[in-house]
Amino acid sequence: MSETTENLNPEDDRQAQRALGFVRTLLTHMQLDAEATFAPDDGDGDEDEIRIEIEGPDAGRIIGKRGLVLEAVQYLTSRVAQKKDEPRRHISVDAEGYRARHEDQLAEMAEKLGQRVAQEGKVITFDPMNARDRRVVHMAIKDMPGVRTESNGQGPDRRVQIIPDKNKVVGVTTDDS
Amino acid sequence: MAFKELIKAIATELVDRPEDVVVTEIATDNNSLIELRVAKSDIGKVIGKDGRTAQSMRTILAALSAKVGRRAHLDIVD
Repeated sequence: MSETTENLNPEDDRQAQRALGFVRTLLTHMQLDAEATFAPDDGDGDEDEIRIEIEGPDAGRIIGKRGLVLEAVQYLTSRVAQKKDEPRRHISVDAEGYRARHEDQLAEMAEKLGQRVAQEGKVITFDPMNARDRRVVHMAIKDMPGVRTESNGQGPDRRVQIIPDKNKVVGVTTDDS
Repeated sequence: MAFKELIKAIATELVDRPEDVVVTEIATDNNSLIELRVAKSDIGKVIGKDGRTAQSMRTILAALSAKVGRRAHLDIVD
């Protein structure tokens, strides 16, 4: 059933090549001993996502405190890979599995907090997070009864909230759209 | 010159007119002031929405800074 999708082969994908080339240039200029390659497709994430993985002795330096350097590398790479008139693509740059680990931890924390909100009935507001991390929280709460999520605030100050919602019942489709 | 080369490599990829990217580095004892100049039409591309592109370049400079043991300050000149 899983026929090999006619996905763009990274070799022929100009945006992907530009993204990888850019990450490699950064590593060289940052004087880091690390290699960048396309990450194997793990099945989650969008089909047209460009996934780059960094590995090597200096991979920790590219992560930085709380992933700040990695975040900057990913942001600049996404700017470089999407020029005018080109399709918007999700770009993910990870180092030694840091981002994957971080997202698992965040999802786990969101679930715990969600249960607390459902019990105590008080809103919980997260610190500002980027779009990707906010999405992790939304997804973690999506199927939890009694709570819903919302993002509020603008730009770098945008925060997710977990809000008690007694009307949210999971498993029963009340909405027939 | 490491800082200057890093910023130049990033900026030329971000802009529409790479030939107009000029980066200068003024070094004092333990500091470097990096001045980035781009075509007027490209200023927005190196600053970014809410200054996020400029902020990202500064974060990356700081990472190199730790490695070479000098501080760097990035100034985008318009």
